[in-house]
Amino acid sequence: MSDLADTVEDIVLDYDLDEAPEKVWRALTQPELVAAWLGPNDIAPEVGHRFALEPTPDKPVDCEILEADPERRLSWRWREADERGGMVDSTITFEVTPTPLGGSHLRLVHSGVRAAGAGSVLGAANDNTLMLWSLKWAA
Amino acid sequence: MTLESFDHTGVFRALADPTRRAVFERLVGAEMTVSDLTTGFSVSQPAISQHLAALRGVGLVSERRAGRFAYYKAEPEALAPLVDWIDKYRAFWPERIERLKDVLKGMDR
Repeated sequence: MSDLADTVEDIVLDYDLDEAPEKVWRALTQPELVAAWLGPNDIAPEVGHRFALEPTPDKPVDCEILEADPERRLSWRWREADERGGMVDSTITFEVTPTPLGGSHLRLVHSGVRAAGAGSVLGAANDNTLMLWSLKWAA
Repeated sequence: MTLESFDHTGVFRALADPTRRAVFERLVGAEMTVSDLTTGFSVSQPAISQHLAALRGVGLVSERRAGRFAYYKAEPEALAPLVDWIDKYRAFWPERIERLKDVLKGMDR
């Protein structure tokens, strides 16, 4: 198995921010603030809320809030088209924790790719869950 | 199979099954027959053959016939679209978080 070089994991990014969780939460959930760093959107931090996001012009992402625990945790499904018109789902999660000096720790996790192909596959999406990052492949 | 004709979604789906993924991983760098593969899996030979067919269908595994034997090996480069996808977001998020920091600095309170 010597050809198996890389192990890819979730994309996990950690940041220490000067601002308090309350402020960070607003920047993550208010449409006009989100627009300034992530793209045009109509986000609302309510579980089940579906919204469109356009992080890159003409490449909209279909989103649905999965978790919204104010000032702590926000998660949404990130569904985008692949080159062939199929849909690829992943999940974005923001975890916000207060720091002793009044700031916040922000963790961003982008994980869990699954494919929801054209047609009937959408209905069987759970069977198609793919934890992509556990894959290994020859580099 | 060219990259353009590649079934991106199909690759995700083909690898969603843990056994199929294990079959694929065993075939990376090692050419095997179905009976070679069946050894070490608690899965029947027909089931292995089905997994192989699914993997071949999306270009993740290739077949070579020699006499009465068929040999299978993985085609890891077929994973390139998935790797590209990850690379895209590994670059995307840090850049956007920098923008988020700017947004936070500009907020009143």
